[in-house]
Amino acid sequence: MKTYDVAIAGGGVVGCAVAWYLAHFSLDVLLLEKREDVCCGVSKANTGILHSRSYVTPGTLKGELHLRSLSWFSQAFQELGLKPLRCGALTLAFSKEEAQHLKVLQEQGKIEGASILSPKEVLALEPRLNPKVYAGYFDPETMVISPFAVTIALAECAALNGVTMHFEKEVVFVEASWDHLLIHCASGERYAAKFFVNCAGIGAPQLAQNIGDVIPPLCFFRGQYFVLDRECQGFVSHVLYPVPTEESKGILVSPTPEGNILLGPNFEPVSYENTATTIQGLEEVEKGARKLVPEIPLDKVIATFSGVRPALPKRDFYVAFSLRLPSVLHLAGIESPGLTACFGIAEYVGELLGKRGLPLREKKNFQSRVPPLVFRECSLEERERLIAEDPDWGKIVCRCEEVTLAEVKRALRSSPPARTLDGLKRRTRVFAGRCQGGFCGMHLPGILERECGLSSSDIRKSGPGSFYVLRKGEVAPDAKVC
Amino acid sequence: MPKFVEAEVVVIGGGPAGMAAALSAWEYGMRKIFLLERNAHLGGILNQCIHPGFGLHIFGEELTGPEYAERYMEALGRTGVEVLTDTTVLEVHKDRAVVAVNRGGIWIFHPQAVVFAMGCRERTRGMIRLPGTRPAGIFTAGCAQYLVNVEGYLPGKRVVILGSGDIGLIMARRLTLEGVKVEAVVEIRPTLSGLLRNYVQCLQDFHIPLLLSHTVFEVLGQERVEGVLVGEVDAKGKPKGRLRHIPCDTLLLSVGLIPEVELLKRAGIPLCSSSGGPFVDEDFACDVPGFFACGNVVAVFDLVDYVTRSAERVGKRISEGLRDEKPPLILVPGKGVAAIVPQRIRERREGFLYVRPKESLRKAKLSLVQQGRELYHVSVPLCRPGEMIHLEISQIPWPKERKEVEVVLEGEKHVDLFSGALYCMSSGMSD
Repeated sequence: MKTYDVAIAGGGVVGCAVAWYLAHFSLDVLLLEKREDVCCGVSKANTGILHSRSYVTPGTLKGELHLRSLSWFSQAFQELGLKPLRCGALTLAFSKEEAQHLKVLQEQGKIEGASILSPKEVLALEPRLNPKVYAGYFDPETMVISPFAVTIALAECAALNGVTMHFEKEVVFVEASWDHLLIHCASGERYAAKFFVNCAGIGAPQLAQNIGDVIPPLCFFRGQYFVLDRECQGFVSHVLYPVPTEESKGILVSPTPEGNILLGPNFEPVSYENTATTIQGLEEVEKGARKLVPEIPLDKVIATFSGVRPALPKRDFYVAFSLRLPSVLHLAGIESPGLTACFGIAEYVGELLGKRGLPLREKKNFQSRVPPLVFRECSLEERERLIAEDPDWGKIVCRCEEVTLAEVKRALRSSPPARTLDGLKRRTRVFAGRCQGGFCGMHLPGILERECGLSSSDIRKSGPGSFYVLRKGEVAPDAKVC
Repeated sequence: MPKFVEAEVVVIGGGPAGMAAALSAWEYGMRKIFLLERNAHLGGILNQCIHPGFGLHIFGEELTGPEYAERYMEALGRTGVEVLTDTTVLEVHKDRAVVAVNRGGIWIFHPQAVVFAMGCRERTRGMIRLPGTRPAGIFTAGCAQYLVNVEGYLPGKRVVILGSGDIGLIMARRLTLEGVKVEAVVEIRPTLSGLLRNYVQCLQDFHIPLLLSHTVFEVLGQERVEGVLVGEVDAKGKPKGRLRHIPCDTLLLSVGLIPEVELLKRAGIPLCSSSGGPFVDEDFACDVPGFFACGNVVAVFDLVDYVTRSAERVGKRISEGLRDEKPPLILVPGKGVAAIVPQRIRERREGFLYVRPKESLRKAKLSLVQQGRELYHVSVPLCRPGEMIHLEISQIPWPKERKEVEVVLEGEKHVDLFSGALYCMSSGMSD
């Protein structure tokens, strides 16, 4: 059995960031993910906002790692081939008391170009804002990015630089065996590694417990969202925050790099990882969004979704070595700003492992990720050239987002590959447009069977049991009903 | 470099509207006509409508969708209309440049006339804010229809249908014939959305329960749909009484259609908020000269026959070229009217006026009113939102004056008789 230098459990944004960071060094790294793809848990459903220094929580580990991460941004985005939307943010106060908080944010951030604005100035920047606004804090540092794009880019860049990834491998137990660790998966496989990093997200406390460590149990705070049609692009042009509370940053209105507008999240405790949307929750989001932008076009909603914040009681990140096995590191409670802080978390994990003896020798041949071409973003000349090279660039499979067959095929071949319809959606934006799969959802299964060599039973939305269609007489695989 | 193509007419969409529009343009002497279709075959939605009921008005016989389409395909085959399939139009510019893509590359057409015939698309889960989880197994009814009738898949084995639109009703029958158990059709409104004949032939004949004034309050299931919570709604759409759990693996949505107008928006064509499509006159010319729209991109028609009839009107007008238009008479929907097509009248001699009622009425009167003065009226014994009323434009005494004309529908509220009668639940349902 091969002994890896480091094994990571969890292919969310944290696990993938750790893998990407460690791929900079001459190490054998293994990533084990319970699900069929990366970015299937908490990482897939959040605002995608890269919070600025004003939103650093002082005196906490999450604040420290958030700050560290910010200094990584330019290098990371260049290596990962990512282009965040550099839109800046406005935090809006609706009373004198709230306005006091804007000063705190400005003081906290000390960001060049940031300023506290009068209602007139705020409305000049965002004319559709609630005219009752009392004051606003403009922060040019805030950016927005697709949370899928970050996690997938981290995974692709890690894989490109030699990280091994195995999917549908849930780590259930780790034990010491002579000079290394033996990692047991639910499916029976075992792997050997010198170090183990528990980035299992919602599953992290249970895994820690199986190893004999104690992490306080997670609390779950659900947040629900609306996604508006791309047609609304430009309706607002900054991230619009209310004044934050102790609990959360509040219900915000935000543009996205893809041109949609995102509304949410609310903040509601739930007893488990419950990602259902509710009538009450969505009404709350609507109310919150209307407080900031009264005329927000809620008739242009194309999707609703919810995500959970896996929080620890202290509302701070937990990063600590196991008390049982000194080469096992646990991470838990990585809630907001986990996406923003991911590079800082990864670097911190690397340092901690280094202190325990992991040799961190930088590779000379680290390769940056070349982002896949996106038909919709290409000029007519580029498109013409692409089609001449490969006619699949001329076959549109998703009319709303103008995704071509070539992009779908590339996503199926990429490493790690899309293995589900959700995986395809997160890589190419099929199913993500205004018809939400009404058009591509009817053509894709046939195309995947005929042109990509899949069989209908391979076509799943997400995990086992999530079959998309059946052939006549076929029994639903792993289905709970029927 | 993209390829530039001179043309007289470019028709976007090869469904019933696009095929009839191209034929009509050919008939009136146009010779450089391109018909652009994004799918591999002409026919549009007709190809997946394998049930009968098409062509009663146009051909006087009952055809299936593919049979109806075939007649137009054959007719096109006898013309010189250039058909490009697997070709998607990406944008249409104000100067009528049409940018399209296919496996041969990028094409930029410069026609004298552009005909929009893209049809409509289905309203989605997000648009109706259906709460619950987001598992596999939620389809729009038309998507499921394509998967079953064209690709030979089944969407699942046990189905609940939300919304009583025509495609939902048709799919209830179709899936039953395929051995799928259809648990119920659930409609939030107190009346049926689709055609009465589809209710009788698709639900009643197959003993499928229709639950009026009911809706789905929650989708259940993590990976695949495992059930839905269904309950009655009050007049404001709020839940009334207990919710019932209906186990199922599939939820079909038949909750309305909306004209596919994205290309028109980019071309700057004025749109009508009540129909969802562009403003058109009786020749289906848009407010911007050189642009035409016909079929379901204008307004969602009940029957394909009306779609064809709308498209057949464009050829003559295209053949007359760009001319100085007289300002038209403007029609607006008034009380009791959800939408009208056309919204502009120019020549006043030919064509039809289609009126979609807002609610079910009996002993109704449809009237045209200008500045408080009634110009014309007809009595309508019974009307329903699912069925358009149509009037011949030549029958109406149009006024000389160009002031706005309001179309008004008044009558006694009508409650569909089966509202209570069909409130029977199948045995598969549990609390």
